[in-house]
Amino acid sequence: MSPEQLPARIRRWLYTTNHKEIGILYLITSLFFFVAAGVLALTMRSQLSVPDNHLLSADLFNQFVTVHGLLMVFWVLSPFAFGFANYIIPLQIGARDLAFPRLNAMSYWFYLVSGAAMMMSFFFGGAPDLGWTLYSPQTSFKFTPTIGLNLGAAGLILIVVSITMSSVNFLVTMFKMRAPGMKLKHMPVFPWAILITIFMMLYAFPSFLAALLLLYVDRAFGTFYFSSIQGGALLWDNVFWFFGHPEVYIVLFPAIGVIADAISTFTRRPLYGSKYIIGSMIAAAIISFIVWGHHMFVTGIGLTSTKLYTVTTIAVSLPFDVMVIAMIETLVKARVRLKAAALFTLGAVALFVIGGITGVYLASVALDHALRGTYFVVAHFHYIMVGASIMGLIGGLYYWFPKMTGRMYNEGLAKIHFIFSFIGFNILYFPMFLLLDMPRRIATYAPSTGWAALNLMSTVGGFIFGLAQILLFVNLFASLRRGSISGPNPWEAWTLEWSLPSPPPAHDFDTIPAIAEDGTYHFGNSSGYPNGSGYPNGSKMGNGTVHSHLEGQSPWPVVVAFAAFIFFLGITIGQPSNPSVPVTFQPFWPLVLDGAILGVIALYGYSRERFSVHEETNVESWPFREVPNVKLGIWTFLGAEVIFFGVLIGAYFFVRTNSATWPAVGSLFEVRSGFAMTLVLLTSSLTAIMALVSAKVGSRNGLMASLFATFGLGVAFLYIKATEWISLGANGVFSVANGLPATSYFITTGVHGVHVFAGMLMTLYLLVNALKGRYLKGDYHAIEHFGLYWHFVDIVWVFLFPLFYLI
Amino acid sequence: MGTRKKQETQKMAFSNTEVVFNNLFSLFTYLAVLVGVIVFALMAFLIIKYRERKNSQDPEDTPRLGRIPIVRGHGRNVLITVSLSTIILLALIIGSFAAVDTLLTPPNGTWCYGLYPGYGAQSPLNQDCPRIDVTGHQFYWEFSYPHALPHAPLYTEKYVFRVPKDATVVIDVTSADVFHDFGIIPFKIKTDAIPGRVNTIWFQPYQNGTYLIQCFELCGSGHYYMNATLIVMQVPQFQAWYNST
Repeated sequence: MSPEQLPARIRRWLYTTNHKEIGILYLITSLFFFVAAGVLALTMRSQLSVPDNHLLSADLFNQFVTVHGLLMVFWVLSPFAFGFANYIIPLQIGARDLAFPRLNAMSYWFYLVSGAAMMMSFFFGGAPDLGWTLYSPQTSFKFTPTIGLNLGAAGLILIVVSITMSSVNFLVTMFKMRAPGMKLKHMPVFPWAILITIFMMLYAFPSFLAALLLLYVDRAFGTFYFSSIQGGALLWDNVFWFFGHPEVYIVLFPAIGVIADAISTFTRRPLYGSKYIIGSMIAAAIISFIVWGHHMFVTGIGLTSTKLYTVTTIAVSLPFDVMVIAMIETLVKARVRLKAAALFTLGAVALFVIGGITGVYLASVALDHALRGTYFVVAHFHYIMVGASIMGLIGGLYYWFPKMTGRMYNEGLAKIHFIFSFIGFNILYFPMFLLLDMPRRIATYAPSTGWAALNLMSTVGGFIFGLAQILLFVNLFASLRRGSISGPNPWEAWTLEWSLPSPPPAHDFDTIPAIAEDGTYHFGNSSGYPNGSGYPNGSKMGNGTVHSHLEGQSPWPVVVAFAAFIFFLGITIGQPSNPSVPVTFQPFWPLVLDGAILGVIALYGYSRERFSVHEETNVESWPFREVPNVKLGIWTFLGAEVIFFGVLIGAYFFVRTNSATWPAVGSLFEVRSGFAMTLVLLTSSLTAIMALVSAKVGSRNGLMASLFATFGLGVAFLYIKATEWISLGANGVFSVANGLPATSYFITTGVHGVHVFAGMLMTLYLLVNALKGRYLKGDYHAIEHFGLYWHFVDIVWVFLFPLFYLI
Repeated sequence: MGTRKKQETQKMAFSNTEVVFNNLFSLFTYLAVLVGVIVFALMAFLIIKYRERKNSQDPEDTPRLGRIPIVRGHGRNVLITVSLSTIILLALIIGSFAAVDTLLTPPNGTWCYGLYPGYGAQSPLNQDCPRIDVTGHQFYWEFSYPHALPHAPLYTEKYVFRVPKDATVVIDVTSADVFHDFGIIPFKIKTDAIPGRVNTIWFQPYQNGTYLIQCFELCGSGHYYMNATLIVMQVPQFQAWYNST
């Protein structure tokens, strides 16, 4: 069936690259996962309502507990927030779209297929069943020989890819595409919160990706990073929680942004100390990278380390103090309009206070020796993740619903929704604080424990909270058609999105607004702007430039995501290599091949498609004024790559320092061949520079020769590498299955080799285009971008060479 | 007075670790309730006092569409907030450090006094008893006592962990397969059981009785029933049991 025959409406949603439509897709999908994960939670609460219950088998309970956690953390909280970010942020900063609209669509489709992979895991021998933290060594194929865990890991890898693309996109958008005069300090708190969140994402998720990669290789090829005692549990703990603690703030900060801006709107006052709120968020984001040890207080990392982590963790509560106090001070001499959005956001602050204070308990290494792994922890983080994040984001849903649909929701029903949610929430989670002796994640418990009454209470609260959410969906769905017309600015808010009609037109702004020195907005030549009344229909007004958002539709993002989905299904669905002794499994190669072929076709189509994004010239782009969008995107991406390789190298150090013996220098690989590879790669960096210089001076022959030389040197590098790999394998003693020296060598150099290979594919693509005479007339940027990547890959080798060959 | 009060608490408590936990937990809770009450009272007061009424007016600085709102906020208030919090948090840090020093610095083990010649309160050396090994398995706990010193085979028991009352018991916890966590629930003490690593904790039981031991890290389908029973016995009974093994 050709695309033309598809009904136009479906095609529109499949091919859309418009940030508002993608925002809606994110919101709907995340709410779907919210309901799914919520149903899992209610089933678990039913199971726990009475002791010795067998409604759910222990196996199923463990799957539910795991998938509930994974779905809520990865597929609900962040995507829910990024639905708003997609829709609202370009409007708030006065941009027409995100910097890379097709990449944005691709992020969404990766998100959708990643969720599909996670849900499918239930049907392949059981979903992951060892907790969302996926602790080693239970994740080894030996202990968990299920394809379901593979699929779960595939889902996680896909969503990390989605998140990485998204963070690059938002970062470039917010640094490069703000309306003229819109300085960073003029942004409301919500975009700030998202900006800080994506910085955390950018530096936390690569660690998780590296951990998942090592886990996958362990499971598929029988390597030893997590199944050995030298790596094992503590290696996973370190790389997981290095990611995991920032992740906690990643799911929290967007909600804080929503809460702060909604509170300002509904109290009719400027936010008290908004710059201190933002400063506190930055401080908390930085500290979040040095507190991960508090998740390992009782793993035996040593008295001194645990004390240091106690101090950093308790210190991270200070910035949150400042945020909460600033929000409360905003109420002074205010005019508080208790609309549903205000109730939810103020309620979220109250619940956050309880969640935050109990977090200080868990920051204490001494108390953690009693509280670790108990329901006290469960209560604490649900007060944060549900109480602050979900309640805050639901507040955001009520807040922006009129903007997205042009209709008002039913205020009375929304208030009832709040009352039931708030009371239900506290009946659900407060008893868990009192269950501070009960282990979390147990499928059932004996009557003699005395835990029954509190559990029953908690279950009742769970059903009140869960059923209350039906009111939300009924209200919003009914209001889509029947709600009263909202007008552009029903809340009399000040941020830019409210200056547009509700819902905004496809191209957002007829004329890009400008913010004058005195802080007033200007649209075209209209000076000032009346308070939300009479939006001028200014399609061609004033001297502002007029651009309509082209019907920017592209079939390729969804195809690329689908190809990746097939590819990951292929590498994760398979048979145990040896069914009698399940230690590794065999990927299903036909699917892998299909996915790879489709992926190459789709990426080719993607790169050939004429899809130009208009870059406004007269925009605020401090501090990256001189850097074009794509280049900033690549720099950002390389920043994430640094963390990724950092974790791989860190893992190598970890297992090496924990190993009693390690082969001596020169006994494994010849220093000569390592030296040769270093020379080859460094030379290729030079030829990459020559390619750029040739392109700049317009010398086609120089460009071709340099690119060809770069490609040839890449071939030479991989040839030497392959020879080394084969000779090591041929000796038999040094296959991956032989221990950690081989494991770390093959994985680290292998991942680097794949990067070299990807770079060579890029040179081929550039060569083909150069043959057609491109890149010579000032359009040399592609050569420059390739060069950045190639130099990075070379620099990584400069680190790997001494680490593996010389010490 | 002080020692007497201490003795009273000890009478009520099951173990020294429970006393450590209860004292610290109370400190945290007093301060938490204090801060919580102030914050919630303030919030409720402000919301009620400044709620929108029919005749109330927008404040003078209400943000309006079309203009970036004025910047409010005083660094002084931030400084006061941070300083007050820091004082409270310092108290919590100091309390935590003292408690964790107790929890993670095992004194000489005394559980074996009277079992081996040369070990005991009256012996000149007052020697440190060997540690008892605790090993997690899917899905049971195994307790290994050094049976006769030196270098004799271990006596191993599953599911039941017997210790003498009032003695200092130091245990080395590890795992034979996956990640577990060994917790004696009423004693408020636990540590991770990790393959290839040994984590040491200690406790001094104050009362005879049986106590629930449970695994606190999801370790597989049998995680929920990965229990054991700690039996605290009078010293003579313990010695009789030990010598009969």
